[in-house]
Amino acid sequence: MRSGPACLAGPVALRPEPMRHFPPDPAPDAEALLLARYAGGDAAAARLLAAQLAPRLFAHAVRVLGDGHEAEDVTQEALLRLWRIAPDWRAGEAKVSTWCYRVVANLCTDRLRKRRSVPLEDVAEPEDPRPDAAQQLQQRARVDALQAALQSLPDRQRQAVVLRHIEGLANPEIAQILDIGVEAVESLTARGKRGLAAALAGQKEALGYET
Amino acid sequence: MTKAEHDDDRALEALFARARSHPPEMPEQLLARVLDDARHLQPTRAGSLLGGWWRMLGGLPGLGGLVTATCVGFWLGVAPPDGMPDLADQILGQQVVMDETAPDLSGFGWDSEEG
Repeated sequence: MRSGPACLAGPVALRPEPMRHFPPDPAPDAEALLLARYAGGDAAAARLLAAQLAPRLFAHAVRVLGDGHEAEDVTQEALLRLWRIAPDWRAGEAKVSTWCYRVVANLCTDRLRKRRSVPLEDVAEPEDPRPDAAQQLQQRARVDALQAALQSLPDRQRQAVVLRHIEGLANPEIAQILDIGVEAVESLTARGKRGLAAALAGQKEALGYET
Repeated sequence: MTKAEHDDDRALEALFARARSHPPEMPEQLLARVLDDARHLQPTRAGSLLGGWWRMLGGLPGLGGLVTATCVGFWLGVAPPDGMPDLADQILGQQVVMDETAPDLSGFGWDSEEG
């Protein structure tokens, strides 16, 4: 998915995004107000909303997928769905950012599942050997020890650890995003951290911290 | 928590902090594509006004209820049930007679007093 109009014509594997019921957040959702302004025809609102959401969604997708190109597609697709749902958005039911993270999480899960089902020999070689921005980003991610350790975790653990410890979200919000209970989030993040510690064992000196 | 676990936790926290302070850089073209999508999908102001009225009416279920109520009301007006007074007939068919009586000005007695 690269160009705007072309991506609109293709079939969208929309998974319903109903949110697990949690008490509504009493704080006003500034992003929901921007979304309402966008739905009302305010073009500036889209710019503000995209500037706030896109970097966070992209960062999450990169951490989970470990691939800049795929993370770009997932981010674009998630925001495309947001623009589509804007006229029907019901304020107060879910935070816009939580909804977007949920779409990104589902899209990442779908892609990771597909990756596992494609044999390695069927994966096409890259067409252009010149490194572009996304490839450079991918190369940087490859040398990032934390990123490498994250890739060794099971998908759900990785998503939970990234959302909790890198994106800094609270457990109830992560529970909404992953559609699980808060206790399950705590369990996933605890197991994820143990998995990371095991994957990073022996690299402490190389990573520049002393025990 | 053992000392080894505590050390692991501290080490992981340091890595998380570094990851938080160095988020992946988003390509500029991605933002351009996202905004392009937003432009193509943005409802027009006229469309959003109509959409607002449509949602205020309750959408298709609301319109269905409105049409049903209108039809029932019209039918009750045309062919009211036996037990119901025929208001249309009462209003349109009744002859109204207004009996206006002129005031009797001779009752004041000024004419007889003057002779």
